[in-house]
Amino acid sequence: MAFQTVEIKPAVPSSPLLGFWRIFSKNRMAVVGLVMLVVSIVVAVFAPLITPYDPQTSAGLTSGDIYNPPSAEHWLGTDDAGKDVFSSFIYGSRVSLIVGFFAAFISIVIGGVIGIVAGYYGGRLENLLMRFTDLLLVIPDLPLIVVIVALTKPSLFNIIFVIGILGWTTTARIVRSQTLAVKSRKFVLRARAIGAGNRHIIIHHVLPLVLPLLVVNAILVISLAILNESTLSFLGLGDPTAISWGQMLNFAFGRGAMSAGAWWALATPGFGIVWVVLALTLLGHGLEQVLNPRLESHHLMPGRLTVQSEAEVESTEKARRRESPVLLDVRNLSVQFVNNGTVAQAVQDVSFQLHEGEMMGLVGESGCGKTTLIMALNRLLPASGQISNGHVYFHGKDIASASEEELADVRWSGISIVFQGAMNALNPVRTVGDQIREAIVKHIPTMTPDQVDKRIVELLELVGITADHKDHFPHQYSGGMRQRAMIAMALSCNPQVVIADEPTTALDVMIQAQILELLDALRKRLGLAIIFVTHDLGVVAEMCDSVLVMYGGVTAEHADVDTIYNAPRHPYTQELLKAFPDLSQPEKRLVSIPGYPPKLDALPAGCRFAPRCPLAFERCLVEMPKQYELPGHHIASCHLVES
Amino acid sequence: MNRYQFLWKKIAWALFTILFVVVLNFFLFRILPGDPVRSGTRDPRLKKDAQEALRIRFGLDKPVIPCFETLNPIKPGDCAVNPFETQFFLYLRNLTQGELGYSFHTNRPVADVLGERLWNTILLIGAGQLLSIVIGVLFGMFAAWKARTSIDYGALITGLVAWSLPTFWLGIILLFWGSNNGFPIGGKATPGISSFPFLYQAGDVFKHMILPTITYTIVYMGEYLLVMRSSLLDVLAEDYILTAKAKGLTTFQILKDHALKNAMLPIVTIIAINLGFTVAGAIQIESVYSWPGLGGAVYEALERRDYPVLQGVFLLIAVSVVLANLIADLTYSFLDPRVQAD
Repeated sequence: MAFQTVEIKPAVPSSPLLGFWRIFSKNRMAVVGLVMLVVSIVVAVFAPLITPYDPQTSAGLTSGDIYNPPSAEHWLGTDDAGKDVFSSFIYGSRVSLIVGFFAAFISIVIGGVIGIVAGYYGGRLENLLMRFTDLLLVIPDLPLIVVIVALTKPSLFNIIFVIGILGWTTTARIVRSQTLAVKSRKFVLRARAIGAGNRHIIIHHVLPLVLPLLVVNAILVISLAILNESTLSFLGLGDPTAISWGQMLNFAFGRGAMSAGAWWALATPGFGIVWVVLALTLLGHGLEQVLNPRLESHHLMPGRLTVQSEAEVESTEKARRRESPVLLDVRNLSVQFVNNGTVAQAVQDVSFQLHEGEMMGLVGESGCGKTTLIMALNRLLPASGQISNGHVYFHGKDIASASEEELADVRWSGISIVFQGAMNALNPVRTVGDQIREAIVKHIPTMTPDQVDKRIVELLELVGITADHKDHFPHQYSGGMRQRAMIAMALSCNPQVVIADEPTTALDVMIQAQILELLDALRKRLGLAIIFVTHDLGVVAEMCDSVLVMYGGVTAEHADVDTIYNAPRHPYTQELLKAFPDLSQPEKRLVSIPGYPPKLDALPAGCRFAPRCPLAFERCLVEMPKQYELPGHHIASCHLVES
Repeated sequence: MNRYQFLWKKIAWALFTILFVVVLNFFLFRILPGDPVRSGTRDPRLKKDAQEALRIRFGLDKPVIPCFETLNPIKPGDCAVNPFETQFFLYLRNLTQGELGYSFHTNRPVADVLGERLWNTILLIGAGQLLSIVIGVLFGMFAAWKARTSIDYGALITGLVAWSLPTFWLGIILLFWGSNNGFPIGGKATPGISSFPFLYQAGDVFKHMILPTITYTIVYMGEYLLVMRSSLLDVLAEDYILTAKAKGLTTFQILKDHALKNAMLPIVTIIAINLGFTVAGAIQIESVYSWPGLGGAVYEALERRDYPVLQGVFLLIAVSVVLANLIADLTYSFLDPRVQAD
């Protein structure tokens, strides 16, 4: 079954039950399941009040009453003994629910205890318990239940006991892994450090976090127990003194309902089983979605179409001092995210030009829209993202309004990306060579397989990976090698623009230096234009030609590298530089900027940096500054620049 | 741990599990109350000496295990029993010779009964599994790809409903409908068909298989659908899918070359684990459709309290499931290159 077992986050501390209910009541599946379950419980409890006949007695019945079709007297007809099917049906819910809940209770207690003990105490005990669990897990449970019940007395108690005692294996496994996860949490370690006993820790710290998962699992276990009970009864192993749905079917099927055409005697009991099991399934599935919310959004969902909310304006950037031609011309680009009706403005009105052979640094704190901007350049935004205005001209063609086919051509052969975290960006079950090959085959179809092979080896050697690693899987590479392989892959189709998204995060300093040198060398050798996304202003100073500083989704400042470092005009750039060590002024104190960048769905009305800006004045809080153009192709968005 | 160590460990564990099943199977049918001869034959008129003869024939006159009596504190006996003269040893020796005892009901060797029924079950389970995997996986993929659309929602509900259906009930309903619409009312072949040409017979078996296979497919398709959907949703949110998209690959290429293999990994495990449930399904389906397979044998053995057959079927089922799990583990290690490195 598809109930996933993922670690569940602790509930919000303020009135957790109320908060839970608020989310729960929004989940249609869970609510429908709960309502269906409550209905069946109410029916079971008040069965004597609902049923028109006593299902146990068949006194006063004649052979003429057998398998009578539904009528006003017998809403669902009569069965093989002439008894009222509707009454038996209502009473049948009692057996199902009793067996389901009691058997599941036994299973959950056994599985819970074994899981917690194994997970919490670990070591040999855990090994022993889990091996035993594995052993039982492999043995098919229904045949075992059938055999044991057949060999003992088929009483309700026996059935509950046998189903319960054999149904705990999945629970034990799930609880164990959750306990393992909880055990290493800080507050458990802390409790242990201050000398709390094991029992105290288990009851007060571990159990509350295991409980939600246990509830979801319990619902699954109940539904399985109900299905098992009905199967047992259908096979003739039910308690002869208690009417259950499975037993009704056993009687009807074995006693000629089929040939009598008595569909009501066959369909009704099954409907009851489906009702209860479906109720539990829906509730369990919904509950899991509530406790362990998943976005259920992925990279292949169709993106939102680009819209143009404003008329195109002439490029604000005049011809730059560079002689080389413009490769990428981004004009007034805005990107928004639409989630459940709320709109978050992630990028607003960003313009820049990238020339052949130019390396542009894209800097700013996390959450300032850097990644969104570069993903928009290749239209790789997630499904909720949308280009809400602007253009991205590449070779005179607007990527923002290109068709899927045109996009597929531009991607990788025109603009390629070195993703951050190459471990996740490479497919773990395919070799690195194979993943490079598919890009070449796609974009340079004229190459013969031999040529492609040669090219892959060349590319790998270009980034310092020997040919024998071609057929290795990503997990066989070291972290630095993976990042270099990612670069080789990015270069495989001779792109003109390479976007490097923090290519050196999570790598150690030596490897970082290697990768950066490599990128710089390749740029010079192949004449690439590179957009380099980074937090490291030192690297930018050393390698880049120009710098775009982003803050809160807008361009704070854009100029060549000398201007940015020597004459920054935007307070944000100035503050960033203060936080960055300078070798020429070793005695300089490093100062970090207090506060955090604004949330994209709650942007300030005026300048986005105003709340943190040391130079902010009244106007900054109410009016957003426009992008002022300064001499030397220098742009800064700050009211101070105007004066 | 290299690959060979991994394989050996898995094989050793499977052998141990089989041993456990063998021992469990023995004690299950010995320790539980009741005299197997009396309850087995269920004939009160059976004379004392006839009972005794039966006991000797089934080896029930011998002690269960060495010193079984001495384990009983009330009746301490001497322990001078030859361990080779016990029921447990006889059971083990017979097992190694492929002997599973005699049916109480027909007096035929259990191994023969199971032998002829095994293939019928494999035929039915094979067809049903194949169909449910193909249909479930395809619909699950489609649902994940079209996530958060009405297609996805419909597939999800279909999967949940299918999962909630009691197998035997669905069988009964389909049989009820089918018997009124020209389908055979059960069994594997029309009586007397054996004198007809082979192709005609095959067609007849096919006709008998349709309804049981549909029942099987509907019940198990739901689970494959749900697992595939959830698994593919996870995979499609991975960074390497974005990489593939950035490379300019088409949606179809990404699904085929990057998502499918990764998403299929959990399915392989589920298929093996399902084999246990599959047997449960087979018992129900074969009971409803009187299909002459192992599941049908369980149903009949239960009706007749034919314990040797029940014991034999249980052993066969449990061992098959253990072996299927082993095969799944090995397949997994070939599909996922990361297993070798762990």
